[in-house]
Amino acid sequence: MTFVMTTAPLEVQEPDVEDVTVTDKPWIVVVWNDPVNLMSYVVFVFQKLFGYSREKATRLMLQVHQDGKAVVSDGPREKCEGDVARLHAYGLWATMEHPS
Amino acid sequence: MKFKGAPGGSVVVTFDEIEVQLMREVPEQLRALYQASDADPARERLFPRAYLDPTEEAAEEQWVELVHPELLRQRLEGLDALLRTLDAGVKKGKRTQVTLSADDVNLWLGVLNDARLAFGTRLDISDDTNIWYSPPDDSMAAERAAYAWLTTLQSLLVDTMLETLPD
Repeated sequence: MTFVMTTAPLEVQEPDVEDVTVTDKPWIVVVWNDPVNLMSYVVFVFQKLFGYSREKATRLMLQVHQDGKAVVSDGPREKCEGDVARLHAYGLWATMEHPS
Repeated sequence: MKFKGAPGGSVVVTFDEIEVQLMREVPEQLRALYQASDADPARERLFPRAYLDPTEEAAEEQWVELVHPELLRQRLEGLDALLRTLDAGVKKGKRTQVTLSADDVNLWLGVLNDARLAFGTRLDISDDTNIWYSPPDDSMAAERAAYAWLTTLQSLLVDTMLETLPD
């Protein structure tokens, strides 16, 4: 099941100089622990969607399982919106946030 | 259910009659759930929020408008694909032998996962739930059995797919 993400229309705002450091910070995509999704399935999805190695995908899955969540990707807002959509297509519980 | 992996991620699964029946009911129920307009925790689990921050409501609405129709379309396509592969199954007496390519397995995984998420929400599955235990006078025994069986099938299919990905 592939998910082709169309680019979200983005409101472009000219940042104030003092805002630059804030707006430049990447967004992060968080996957939350879920009692239903199989551990092996989560590893499969991380490898398939992000091209992560088995080792990295397994480490992230264990972090989700043990800590309740893990940051699985980051980047500009549109990229993270696409990643969240692709994770939702696979039934993973993912959200995005902008660390302050 | 008899399960046999083949090279390249394809598999041959032989289903009993009752299992084929279940696999035909699953898409029907999911189709209804996907398109339900009432607030439903199972549907919300399948279409969760993207933005954690409630002050990003405008971005959330825009994202939902853009993404949800596509997510729904893909999910419905997965259901159709699953039914097609079942229809193409070879009858062996009361059993049906279904051959799945790696692409089919990928589609089946999506449907199975959605079905388990939907059942899991209804059954209030937690990390501590023993899915093989059915309490006495369980009014949801059928759902619990279906959930456990779908878990077994999904687990076998995931392992097959993991073999096709690099270590």
